[in-house]
Amino acid sequence: MKHSTRVFVSLILFLIAVMALVAASPPGDVGPTYAIRNCKIVPVAGPVIEKGTIVIRDGLIESVGPVDKIKIPEDAEIVEADGLVAYPGLISALSNLFLETPARPEGQAFTSEEPPQPQAQQPQEDRFPPGPGLLVLDQLKPKRAGVESFHKAGFTTVLAAPARGIFEGQSVLLNLNGEPLQPMVLRNGVALHINFTTERGSYPSSLMGTIAHIRQSFIDADYYAARQAQYEKGPAGLKRPEYDPRLEALVPFIRDRKPVVFQCNNVEDIKRALKIAGEFKLNAFLAGANEAWRAADVLKKSPVPLLIALDFRPPATSKYAAQGEELRKKAEAEIYPANAASLAKEGIAFALVSGSNADGAAVLRNVRTAIKSGLSPDAALRALTIQPARYMGLDRTLGTLEPGKIANVVLVKGEFFDDNAQVAKVFVDGVQFKYAEVTK
Amino acid sequence: MTKRSLVIALLIIILAPFASAQAKPDKVIAITNVRIIPVVGAEIPKGTIVVKDGLIAGIGADIAVPAGAEVVDAAGLRAYPGMIDGYSSLGLVEISGVSATVDNRETGRINPQARALEAIRYDSMHIPIARSNGITAAVVAPSGGLISGVSCLVKLDGRTNREMAVEGAAAMQIELPGLRTGRGGFGGGRGAAQVRADGPTLLAELKGLFGAARAYEKRRDAAARNKLLALPEFNETYEALLPLLKGEMPAMISVHSERDIRAAIQFVREEGLKAVFYGVEQGFKAADELAKAGIPVVLGSLYDMPPVWEDGYDALFRNPGILAKAGVKIAFSSSSASVAKDLPYHAAKAAAFGLDKAEALKAVTINTAEIFGVADKMGSLEKGKAANIVLADDDILELRTNIKKVYIDGRETDLSNRYTELLKKFEKK
Amino acid sequence: MNKPALPRLLTLCLLAAAAVVVSSLPAAADSRDILIKNGTILTVTKGVIPKGDVLVIGGIIKQIGGTIAAPPGVRVVDAAGRYVLPGIIDSHTHIALAGTNEGSEAITPEADVGTVINADDTAILTALSGGVTMVHTMHGSANPIGGPNVVLKMKWGRPSEELVVKEALPTLKFALGENVKQSGRTVQPGQTQRYPATRMGVNAIIRREFEKARNYMAQWDRYNRAAAAKNPPRNLVPPRKDLRLEVLAEVLRGERVARCHSYQATETLEFMELAKEFGFKVQCFEHIWEGYKIADELAAAGIGISVFADSWAYKMEAAEGIAYDAGYCAKHGVLVSINSDSGERIRRLFNDAAKTMKYGGLTEDEALRLVTINPAIQLGVDKLVGSLEVGKQGDIAIFSEHPMSAYTRCDMTIIEGDVYFDRDQVLKEREEAAKKAAAPRDKGGAS
Repeated sequence: MKHSTRVFVSLILFLIAVMALVAASPPGDVGPTYAIRNCKIVPVAGPVIEKGTIVIRDGLIESVGPVDKIKIPEDAEIVEADGLVAYPGLISALSNLFLETPARPEGQAFTSEEPPQPQAQQPQEDRFPPGPGLLVLDQLKPKRAGVESFHKAGFTTVLAAPARGIFEGQSVLLNLNGEPLQPMVLRNGVALHINFTTERGSYPSSLMGTIAHIRQSFIDADYYAARQAQYEKGPAGLKRPEYDPRLEALVPFIRDRKPVVFQCNNVEDIKRALKIAGEFKLNAFLAGANEAWRAADVLKKSPVPLLIALDFRPPATSKYAAQGEELRKKAEAEIYPANAASLAKEGIAFALVSGSNADGAAVLRNVRTAIKSGLSPDAALRALTIQPARYMGLDRTLGTLEPGKIANVVLVKGEFFDDNAQVAKVFVDGVQFKYAEVTK
Repeated sequence: MTKRSLVIALLIIILAPFASAQAKPDKVIAITNVRIIPVVGAEIPKGTIVVKDGLIAGIGADIAVPAGAEVVDAAGLRAYPGMIDGYSSLGLVEISGVSATVDNRETGRINPQARALEAIRYDSMHIPIARSNGITAAVVAPSGGLISGVSCLVKLDGRTNREMAVEGAAAMQIELPGLRTGRGGFGGGRGAAQVRADGPTLLAELKGLFGAARAYEKRRDAAARNKLLALPEFNETYEALLPLLKGEMPAMISVHSERDIRAAIQFVREEGLKAVFYGVEQGFKAADELAKAGIPVVLGSLYDMPPVWEDGYDALFRNPGILAKAGVKIAFSSSSASVAKDLPYHAAKAAAFGLDKAEALKAVTINTAEIFGVADKMGSLEKGKAANIVLADDDILELRTNIKKVYIDGRETDLSNRYTELLKKFEKK
Repeated sequence: MNKPALPRLLTLCLLAAAAVVVSSLPAAADSRDILIKNGTILTVTKGVIPKGDVLVIGGIIKQIGGTIAAPPGVRVVDAAGRYVLPGIIDSHTHIALAGTNEGSEAITPEADVGTVINADDTAILTALSGGVTMVHTMHGSANPIGGPNVVLKMKWGRPSEELVVKEALPTLKFALGENVKQSGRTVQPGQTQRYPATRMGVNAIIRREFEKARNYMAQWDRYNRAAAAKNPPRNLVPPRKDLRLEVLAEVLRGERVARCHSYQATETLEFMELAKEFGFKVQCFEHIWEGYKIADELAAAGIGISVFADSWAYKMEAAEGIAYDAGYCAKHGVLVSINSDSGERIRRLFNDAAKTMKYGGLTEDEALRLVTINPAIQLGVDKLVGSLEVGKQGDIAIFSEHPMSAYTRCDMTIIEGDVYFDRDQVLKEREEAAKKAAAPRDKGGAS
């Protein structure tokens, strides 16, 4: 090849490479070092800093402190944050974000006195059948709109969970740092999610059948593990235990105390979950739990992590839904929103989660309603930052604004839970996302 | 012809009617020493009732026993008029889960041509059971759809369905939708207060239908007078509606919610119909309007849950008392075939919740007779009325009461029924 | 929202929430003391006291009859002109449950209604308005073998665990006949009819399951023996714990009794044969419209029945039901209770019991037993409830007339000394609500 042609080809290849590099960059600005300055800082760990600076380098928080104490590094891009408040990125410890399958159906009606009529077979192929072995990560479809919706509500980290079936599957912790899925993953196979629902037309088709099915599954998983251990110890003369993928998947949750999240749709579900957790010594979390205040005594006696989903509609089986319109309206407007406040008053710890709500703004509105019903803004913030971080085992790296932690920062115009607060910028893993113009 | 054969022929002609007289009992019965509760008029602590030709020939404290009369000494017993069920499916339903035995619900929404009398099983096992509890007549009604058909008033005795008929065409049955109730509990807040289909919309539909029927009649009559005019095609629906529209029978309108009750009151006034309302669970909320409009009410079964939580746990129980106090003429119904015998106990339950006891008794006897235009024949123990008499050992509305005799049209009826027959078959000797 | 209004609105909301929570509890919730004066006392087991008092302290009846002085702080109810009787017990119902049938399979004894109690069911209030203080709430009749049932006190407003009557006899629901055969159901294309579809299959499947349970118990027995031996074999593998067979094993061991829904004589007699064959106890047959045909056999076997008064003729197997069924069986040595099987009929169990006076010739007192002491005996709680006796629990109903009169009405229902239904209170609240609705709207206050 002629030299000039070689140079030309190299140039073209170089340009292509550069374009590819640029095209592969995540949306938003990319810059390894930021200095966010002159904002109010709510670190959650430690007192509020009226006017401070946060330095982010390599996706981590390098330093946090009052403006006069923090030196701005010379390689830092300055982010003027005068008039803004900086919070740790909110963590939703239970979410159905990025799930395409329809949300779990509304509170089941369990009043059938006749045998269920089996439905015609579903024609579509079920590529991700629910079960203890399902890793929901495999079926997530992240969308920019979903990320933005959550960013604008201040959420930077979510536990993305399945939402179908009784043994729904295993969740994954995601840091919402862009659009591609893999770089978001903090940890896969976090918890097993169980819902007190039923199958339709096949066993179990009743709630009591479901509860028996859950118990029998754990009994069988324990038996399976015992047979394997026995075989491992000395296989000679023993018939080899048969492989069962479903039981195999359950073993870590019954033998190694991997977390199990029970979706509790009403106060009785809470008691049912605690009973099963006690029987099998599970590391149980209770999710949903919008009637948790009604089980305060039980929860005080057997404390478990609570993932409160801020759904204010009285469940169909609730007495608040069955004694006339006036009470039902009052329940939705006043009684159920006071759930979190009541728990706080009783000294019962909890995290607030987005649950099946995919609309970040709606989640934030519900948080505000909970605050108006008596939850202190400070308690609300902790329930969305440090508490879920602790629950998810992320408290060494997330949940507060402290040096060394991952740079998940939210800059808000106004106080976070004010009606007209607006998220201006979000940093996730140190990646900047701009949402609202900052006006002086 | 010889003189002798003429006499024989004459004798045959004269005596023949007496030989075939099964329909009219010719013996005279005197029920003596009985405590008489006539319902109309004062109670007679001890008196006599004389029955002749199927009618009450005499009734009072000092009535002479006619010579040759069969004397029934009813010491210790009470005499009541036979009760009348204001709404039932007696004779139309045998076993409710077996559709082959169910004839009270025609398919489709508009069936004014369906006539209950034409389908009644006079040998239904439920009829003798009800009769042996002192019920001597019943309204048998079709149900379902918007216009279910024509109900009839029958006496609970007769060798054929036609023989049973007292009022072959009692009322045109029209049904407006009920309020949804929750299973076993109250309606609850799950939209229970919503009526399934709109009452006023259905009434508007009826208005249109009636208007069309009247127009049809006009064309038909005009064509009958003037042969040059085209005769309209026979229209079964319109033809069947005309007796209602001409005032020959009332409409019996199943109506349940307060809103629909008010709408129905206006409707019958605008259409100029004679009407009786059935069901009327929220009637206590429109009692004054019902009284002012002079519309009588046949109550549905009190064995139902209140349709709406806010009406209170005892809504159906206190409803009759409130209606009666406001001046509405009320009657009770069993709304059943298999438990039609429970008619008196609905009345008693209403009395437990505020209905005057005497009113309760009227609401299963004379009121029902008046509502269906047969008060001249039955509903009370009065001279000249049919001898529908029940002899009981206690208050006829009480659960412990045993019925000793039931007379219908002066004839003593058989008190055996399906229950007693099966018991006899299997009981230990 | 303006900052100054926030705390006041907050307080209002909290007060409202608290008020609703408090008002949903019975008045004087934890007092469990009450004195009922001047009523006609129907003790059921110890005769009628024409006029007297009943004292309950700490939920237990301490004194019956005569004039009792009110201890300080104890609520006094004047029952002059009224009737005081034991709280009514419904031996067969399906209320207060989140689901009653696991119909996807025919044999489901692992499904336990005790795990799905719903203390929020307003049917509890309906029951209380009819004088009912305790119910045996059960599986439906979808399956030959349904599952365990539970006995509940109608303590509206209390947490669900407080409703459970732990002393009750553990029961297992069985069902025979049309419902189980699904005879009313048309099989859709692409579906198969569930086995069993005949009474032959119903019998066979129950026998099969008991054989499996026997086998299961034998396997465990062998394992336990081997494991307890001095030198247990190294390759000893325990049987898999099977929740389904565990429950059936309880029945075989006599720790749980059968309550069997049946209608026809033949299927009933055959079930009795099965019980004899496997050695388990049948406590009661449910509904059994043909009970009068085999009253002697039932009495001889010591099996009770729990039936309707006259709700019949709704399906073929109920076509030979007679209103004399309950009364006749009662007079022939069978322990009879009248049940509701319905959240509507539960309010008039006393009316249904009264019908046996006319259909069966029972006396007032005998009729009252059918909904008080008899169901208590059937449920194994007759030492605690079912009659008014010193030492029993203070489950009491107060009626306006004799409970066996058609003119009667329940005015108050008391469970262990606490008032759970008070008609006067209901009427007062209704009056106040009517006054509030009629009053002109209040101007002012936070908008």
